[in-house]
Amino acid sequence: MKICVCVKHVPDTAATIKIDGETGFKDSEIKFVVNPYDEYGVEEAVKLKEKNGGEVVIVTVGKPEAAATIRSALAMGADRAILVTTDSQFLDASLTAKALKAAMEKDGLPDLIFTGKGSVDTESFQTQYRLAHSLGIPVVNEVSTLSVDGKKAVAELEVGGGDKQVIEMGLPCVIGATKGLNEPRYPKFPDIMKAKKKKIDEMTLADLGLDASAQGVTLEKLEPVPERTGAKMIEGSVEEQVTELIRILKQDEKVL
Amino acid sequence: MDLNPCMKHQLIRKTVREFAENEIRPRAAEMDKGPGFPDDLMEKMKPLHYFGLQVPGHLGGADLDTVSYAIVVEEISRVSAALGLCITVHNSVGIYPILRFGTREQKQQFVPPMAAGESIGAFCLTEANAGSDAGGVETVARETAHGFVINGTKIFVTNGGICGTILVFAVSDSDPGKPGVFIVENHTPGFSVGEIEDLCGMRANPVASLFFEDCAIPADHCLGIPGQGLKIGLTALDTGRIGIAAQALGIAQAAFEESVSYAQARQQFNKPISRFQTIQNYLADMAVQIDAARLLLYRAADVKDTGRPFSAEAAMAKLHCSTTARMVTDLAVQIHGGYGYSREYDVERYFRDAKVTEIYEGTSEIQRMVIARHILTRPT
Ligand SMILES: Cc1cc2nc3c(=O)[nH]c(=O)nc-3n(C[C@H](O)[C@H](O)[C@H](O)COP(=O)(O)OP(=O)(O)OC[C@H]3O[C@@H](n4cnc5c(N)ncnc54)[C@H](O)[C@@H]3O)c2cc1C
Repeated sequence: MKICVCVKHVPDTAATIKIDGETGFKDSEIKFVVNPYDEYGVEEAVKLKEKNGGEVVIVTVGKPEAAATIRSALAMGADRAILVTTDSQFLDASLTAKALKAAMEKDGLPDLIFTGKGSVDTESFQTQYRLAHSLGIPVVNEVSTLSVDGKKAVAELEVGGGDKQVIEMGLPCVIGATKGLNEPRYPKFPDIMKAKKKKIDEMTLADLGLDASAQGVTLEKLEPVPERTGAKMIEGSVEEQVTELIRILKQDEKVL
Repeated sequence: MDLNPCMKHQLIRKTVREFAENEIRPRAAEMDKGPGFPDDLMEKMKPLHYFGLQVPGHLGGADLDTVSYAIVVEEISRVSAALGLCITVHNSVGIYPILRFGTREQKQQFVPPMAAGESIGAFCLTEANAGSDAGGVETVARETAHGFVINGTKIFVTNGGICGTILVFAVSDSDPGKPGVFIVENHTPGFSVGEIEDLCGMRANPVASLFFEDCAIPADHCLGIPGQGLKIGLTALDTGRIGIAAQALGIAQAAFEESVSYAQARQQFNKPISRFQTIQNYLADMAVQIDAARLLLYRAADVKDTGRPFSAEAAMAKLHCSTTARMVTDLAVQIHGGYGYSREYDVERYFRDAKVTEIYEGTSEIQRMVIARHILTRPT
């Protein structure tokens, strides 16, 4: 079985982002990681491979620096990788999905595709759906339990209130992985050494016949979140507090 | 030498740092109340090959190069120097002499369980009357028809409380001028562990005295040829010093990072103390020492990896890294003021941990002797 895992190179959520220009940020100063949700996908794919054999291919759309992040995924046990290089950290979900699809088609379509449930940088939560739609295959997001046999996959996802939805679908399909699916491993030292030698196929968007400027959504401006101002405590009886709150909302904050 | 650590080394550092930050950092201060390491933590480290870092793959290890090895020890020590000590002593002076001087059978018998972390290594040279001077060793190995019988007491044995495979430096009863190194397993009758030392730092490591009373071991438990002990011991220490240098560097790095963030956060006289020139000078001095230490360390590791003699380079790295650890942790406490002297802050632990790096595996005075001997005997 061939499994592709879509892995995004994202800033560590603990990193302090310094905005640079209108839509850029100082990425050389911060730590990048494998998008944490994608790690569950990598782990699940590697576990399936260890059980049933096959091949795990990492597919990334990102800046050339993403190669370092890809090595981390390879150290977890993936076999090789494809990196579609872009100039910008930000690419809209539609173009990202097109690039992923084109790269997979070029390499040979897999039997199973993993993504994370979303990426922690842009959080648009669309790529997995767009990718599945364009390939005309089923997709389930936020999967916390998965079993795959032969021609079908059974995915479970939490739907709130302690209830679970169980979905059975044919292969190939797209699985959006989330916390609970597994416990991503720390790579072993011999696997880290091997990761260095694994192949990363690099190609540009143009190589895949795609145009970087053809994005549906473009980033206009990055702005720091304004610092929160101090909280205001309202004193008095319940009635006085409510009256004062309504006055503030109407007169001071003008939201009512 | 490649001063730009290659991809492999970055990935090693990143992987170990992630493990150390997630799995060790939250428990490091608690571990310091020691002695001993949490079982579940040790269990997590075993399958990742922390106990067989430079052991060849066919004996169950990770077969890392020495630069990678140094990075692993640095990163573990950056979070818990006491655990870093366990790892480096086990891997270097514990395992390396067996790999280097052991017979095929000895390697097959002793190394795989050590590499798997099932049997922790210890190396014991120091005795009450033998510290810097290995010539003072009184532990005796008496040759019998079946092998050797060991009698003596070793002190200050790192990993003593948890060791399984012990390398014992002992003199021969017939010729005290010819010491040997013997492999003793912890289940050997006559072997026992004394009290755990109540140390200033490295408190999580169960450093202990070990007693050998009529410990009978088979003849094939002698490492190398009888009488070769001094050579084995010195070779072991050369390798060990790269590990201790890496450990010291990790402590210094940790203290430096804490100092930079504290200096930026702490306000006095209405500004962060990092705006005061004196504090800036401290930070600059720390950074220079640490950078120099790291370069000396990688140089020593690189020389070892290329198969050249590295004794002087290892001694220089150990001397400078340990001096740096002591100096940097001292300044770190100074930058933290009263808080730095409190157990609430990690720099207090770093300060206590740093000092011993100037003492074990050869004091700084002994490192200078080693370095000077190389200078004076080097062909010109
Ligand atoms: C936490 C810890 C862990 C240890 N782990 C181990 C271990 O696993 N295995 C092991 O065998 N040992 C271990 N040791 C022992 C350590 O290696 C010795 O303490 C060290 O070698 C110094 O020996 P000593 O304490 O007897 O000091 P001494 O040799 O008595 O030295 C006292 C002072 O005299 C100086 N001095 C001695 N000779 C000279 C000279 N010729 N010229 C100039 N100055 C000199 C020394 O540098 C030192 O400053 C450990 C010690 C500690 C504290």
